[in-house]
Amino acid sequence: MLTKKLIISLALLSIVSVGMPLPAAEFPTKEVQIIIPWSAGGATDLIFRALAANTGKYLGKAVVVINRPGGAGAVGYTEGMQARPDGYTLTAAVPPLTILPHWVTTAFTYRNFEPILNVVSDPSMFLVRSDAPWKSLQEFLDYAKKNPNMITVGNAGAGGGVHLVALAFERAAGVKFNHIPFAGGGPSVTAILGGHVNAVSVSPPEGIEHVKAGKLRIMALFAKKRLELFPDAATVREQGIDFVMGMWRGLIAPKGAPPDAIKKLHDAFKQGMEDPVFIKNARDMAVNLSYLGPEDFGKLMAHDHELYGQLVKEVKK
Amino acid sequence: MKRSEAIGAVIIFLFGGITALLSLKMPIGTFRVAGSGLFPLCLGLLLMALSGLFLLTLSFGSERIIEKKDRVVFIPGSVKQILPFFAALVLATLFFKELGYPLTSFLLLLSLLRILGVNRWTTNIPLSLVTVVASYLLFVKWLQIPLPKGWIGF
Amino acid sequence: MLDSLQLMISGFGIATTMQNLFYCLMGAIVGTLVGVLPGLGPIAGIALLIPATFGLNPTSAIIMLAGIYYGAMYGGSTTSILLNVPGETASVITCIDGYQMAQKGRAGPALAMCAIGSFIAGTIGIFGLVFLAPPLAEAALAFGPPEYFSLMVFGFIVLSNVTGTSLIKALMMAVVGLIIGTIGIDPVTGNERFTFGSAPLLGGIEFVAVAIGLFGIGEVLVNVEKPLGMLEEKVIFPRLKELYPSLQDLKRSITAILRGTGIGFGVGLVPGPAPVIATYASYMTEKKVSKHPDEFGKGAIEGVAGPESANNSACQSAFIPLFVLGIPFAPPTAILLGALLIHGVNPGPMLIGQHPQLFWGVIASMYIGNFILLLLNLPFVPFFANILRIPKKILLPLVILFCITGMYTVNNSVFDIWMMLLFGGLGFMMRKWAYEGAPLLLALVLGPKLEVAFRQSLMMSRGDFSIFVSRPVSLVFLLATILFLLVPVFRILFKKKKGRDVKVQS
Repeated sequence: MLTKKLIISLALLSIVSVGMPLPAAEFPTKEVQIIIPWSAGGATDLIFRALAANTGKYLGKAVVVINRPGGAGAVGYTEGMQARPDGYTLTAAVPPLTILPHWVTTAFTYRNFEPILNVVSDPSMFLVRSDAPWKSLQEFLDYAKKNPNMITVGNAGAGGGVHLVALAFERAAGVKFNHIPFAGGGPSVTAILGGHVNAVSVSPPEGIEHVKAGKLRIMALFAKKRLELFPDAATVREQGIDFVMGMWRGLIAPKGAPPDAIKKLHDAFKQGMEDPVFIKNARDMAVNLSYLGPEDFGKLMAHDHELYGQLVKEVKK
Repeated sequence: MKRSEAIGAVIIFLFGGITALLSLKMPIGTFRVAGSGLFPLCLGLLLMALSGLFLLTLSFGSERIIEKKDRVVFIPGSVKQILPFFAALVLATLFFKELGYPLTSFLLLLSLLRILGVNRWTTNIPLSLVTVVASYLLFVKWLQIPLPKGWIGF
Repeated sequence: MLDSLQLMISGFGIATTMQNLFYCLMGAIVGTLVGVLPGLGPIAGIALLIPATFGLNPTSAIIMLAGIYYGAMYGGSTTSILLNVPGETASVITCIDGYQMAQKGRAGPALAMCAIGSFIAGTIGIFGLVFLAPPLAEAALAFGPPEYFSLMVFGFIVLSNVTGTSLIKALMMAVVGLIIGTIGIDPVTGNERFTFGSAPLLGGIEFVAVAIGLFGIGEVLVNVEKPLGMLEEKVIFPRLKELYPSLQDLKRSITAILRGTGIGFGVGLVPGPAPVIATYASYMTEKKVSKHPDEFGKGAIEGVAGPESANNSACQSAFIPLFVLGIPFAPPTAILLGALLIHGVNPGPMLIGQHPQLFWGVIASMYIGNFILLLLNLPFVPFFANILRIPKKILLPLVILFCITGMYTVNNSVFDIWMMLLFGGLGFMMRKWAYEGAPLLLALVLGPKLEVAFRQSLMMSRGDFSIFVSRPVSLVFLLATILFLLVPVFRILFKKKKGRDVKVQS
């Protein structure tokens, strides 16, 4: 009985292997996947979906996005690290990659990956409702100084990028906020719209539409220079606090991926970034394109890894 | 009958106990500043309380025993079917990634059909083959879902 | 209001162009297929087709994607009824009575009733969407963490014993579900809980794995245990006239459908997995108001019609926060948001103003989509019902393959398949010991949110518990919970009193 089954299976196998395509050919021979360690609809997801759609033609094969949410990004990054280093499975890298290893025990750090390029660099900001009592950053910070731990600042998740930005800002401004975590950018913006928190720490495109509609106001902008879309919003630097922090979003591959695959991917994605349709998408999402090549991107990740390491240590004391 | 119900309740009790024990390892905090372990600890304790209560009601006989034909816990002969069936599922899952989707599903279908008594190869193989090909076409080709490819290449 | 009507009519104009009708149809078909496959829900379906929409204008693209969303809702109930495998999360409740009906040869009426109920709910829901959208959106915003907590406590207590066998056993299952829900990363502090160093567990246990495992695989295993002879047989042979609902079925279901629509619409406004909760709430309501409560769990048609309608109308109202506020409350709407953004449309308070043709075109096509789905599904009822004619020994392996494939498509994770098998085994054991799966699933869904809301509220109030009662909406829900818990107590007291009065009189 068993041998019969075995013979039949072997027969089928041999039929099938005869028709098997030979591996040789040029990279890419099949579609490339980008792992997004968050659920669909978030900032990272949207940006990379747009980029993937626009890069397919430059790469010669489709680029698809798959979501691997969970563990504030840990699940996705762990999988990205363990993927076969053949250049077909990439991961979207954002600051949590450099934050998580300090916050919880992870199997990965940025060193388990090969940088390809950075796509976006957005300043973070604090938003408040347009009817909030504080009309200027100064008023906001004065109130915060007088009432430590009273101003509630929502964020997209404990240990996440914007949470850390808020924590770092506290140090730079010398105040203490009451941080309320939410399950992502969407819920945190909902909370501020409903007035359940006083302010919210976000990164574009979260909340942008509401600022455009006048329901929310930019209270503090952690950028080097003012935003194109909202030229009236002053940066905190202009107002005396030297603090610039944001979210970068780039692509990485597992360590050991072949260099020529990385080069091909880099070139294709760079062209995708320069594609007019993608540029329009980015502008509509108020997202700031900021290309960095593999070396510079690698340096950025290393720098932030150290930076966040320090910050987390201080916070966890 | 009551004995097997009791066994079930005891298992649940133990589950609650283990949960409570494990959650003690995590920071508990207070109700005001809840640590990660507070909620699981409360849940574990609650579960132990509930299952304990249930055991009590069993021993006092006030729990309604539902009369249904398949209330019997273990049909002796059926182990012959359930074990191989479940084992086939486990094996298929173990080798899912290595063998790839089409091959694994084909082998799985073959084994399951065999276990359930479809003895004639003339029905078994074509049926499995057709199903696997159909699902391959539908999911991999049309819907483009990334199902594992395995070393045979597809 | 007149304005809205006028715009809606122009919306119909847009939606009924040949092009848009075609996209709607495509979306509906793909959605149904996607919904029928367990695990692969509207999320994956929509995500898969986003690239295909790039060449289209935003209106057509959204029409197609919205079509998938509904199609999936319609399709999900099919496998629940036929195979006890929830096609997607919101179809779990449909498994309970739907499967029983199928086992009795009444798969046809069950399937048809789902389609009809969903259609009616969808139609009414769209009117609700059109006329009530802005005020409802504002109302949705009023829910902050304390309100969610109280709402969920209410929902949890009320719905735990939804299948009503033994309260204490249901509560035990609910607590087990809550415990399972804590596995993963604690959303408030970011610490790991019960992960034992395993990376996949960091994300918690996938709900779909538990649902398909407990219900689908569990059911298969229970069948496998039966003597081989029994597996030769097929489920009852449905006769032609029994393939569609009888007049009596329709009469009984219509009120269930209307109630389900109302419940679903309201519940759909709450962020999170609203459709699932809506189905539980509808089932519970139907059970309580029904004249034949003992039929529930054995094939009561209201237990299928009500929840399915609630499911559909919850999906409708899920669009409200998306379109009016620009914030997706549930994963499928999150992807729609993404699609909108990629097409250069930024959902937010200004969407309706800036892109009226988009908004109204989509609304109108939602209506048309519902209609198309009804037309698609009704004729297929006999086809689907006849699937049950396949002898079990062939059907069961196919179901297994179906579940495994579907499970894998959710996260491309073999770990999920393991979880599904584990819960399959668990479901099998649970059947033996008469424990219900429904409370466990509900707890798995509500538990994490309940805990987060509780801790968020306390963080907001800096440890002050009065936040739960000082806010009106929250207070209302808490009072409702207490009242609900006291009802049985009152009943007992009332009975005793009556007894005493009678004694005194005689």
